[in-house]
Amino acid sequence: MLVLDAGNALFKSRDSAQAPDARARAELVLSQMDAQGTAAMAVGARDLGFGVGFLRKQTRQAKLKLLSANLADAQGKLLFPASLVTTVGGVKVGVVGVSPAMAKPMPVGLAVPGQAQEQVQGLPVQPAVAAETKRLREKSKVDLVVVLAAVPHAEALQLADQVEGVDFVVQSHEGRGQGIAQRQALATVIPSGARGRELAKLVLQLEGTGRFADASLQERTRQQLRLLEGNLTRAKARLAGTQDPAEKRPLEATIARLEASRAAYQKELAGGATDAGRTHLLSYIQLGSDVPADPVVQKWVERVEPPGSAAH
Amino acid sequence: MSPRPVKLAALALLLLLPLVAGAAPKQLVLLFTGDNGGEVAPCG
Repeated sequence: MLVLDAGNALFKSRDSAQAPDARARAELVLSQMDAQGTAAMAVGARDLGFGVGFLRKQTRQAKLKLLSANLADAQGKLLFPASLVTTVGGVKVGVVGVSPAMAKPMPVGLAVPGQAQEQVQGLPVQPAVAAETKRLREKSKVDLVVVLAAVPHAEALQLADQVEGVDFVVQSHEGRGQGIAQRQALATVIPSGARGRELAKLVLQLEGTGRFADASLQERTRQQLRLLEGNLTRAKARLAGTQDPAEKRPLEATIARLEASRAAYQKELAGGATDAGRTHLLSYIQLGSDVPADPVVQKWVERVEPPGSAAH
Repeated sequence: MSPRPVKLAALALLLLLPLVAGAAPKQLVLLFTGDNGGEVAPCG
């Protein structure tokens, strides 16, 4: 199992770092992500409320790695590692982080009177991801590339359409919540969920080569094939039971149409087994009231957000 | 103690569960979060 975060974990908005509990909240989220085994997180626009120094300090001793292939200082020097390579269950996974592109350097962190505010810039997304993905494929020889894309949804779709070598683009930025796996020209976009309400769970079957096929679509095709075969059996039984030419003709046409559809479904399933033996299946685990709380973590949470407080 | 469920705490417990399906070879489970926006407990 590999746990990853697509970014925008720490603050409700770019300005909410000024809230009295913002620091304690951000520290708790980061420390718990580390304690709970999150391997990497992309740095999103809503993670920069206390600036780059805060993020570095909070994760200095952590296993959690903050990633961004394109977030740079005002001089253009990258501020975080672009990627992480980790091996899980014998599978070598490359994880790339990416932040939103910015037209010009922007101030981040809290403004302190008399001090110059830290400036960062988001370099163009696509070239940064393409270069890092190429490096991971050619130098690190990874089996799988996952991009943690803390960028607008339209930009995530473009990445999945145009960057060679990427398998999955996990998107966060607008708080879109859960959704379906969206297959683009070259990769599949995965909605990350939002506001701690759910975990996105992506089960990968890694036998074979080629693009990952959506196992839920394959299952739907199997169901459609089963329904169609039932209809075909009934149509053939009706045909066998009639001698009336006026009744036989439409039945024969129906059977021909159903047989053609059956062949198409069978071809589709067979293609999935040979060209795309690798599959993915996306589901969401809801973190509702039926999921019990860890009592130790709950105490820390209640220090930040006491029971009955109007924190929202 | 709050009667409300706590998201961060629930997540902590959930991640202790054995989510890896060890029986099937060459299977990998990825878990993703994102857009948490500083949430530590349920709204509303």
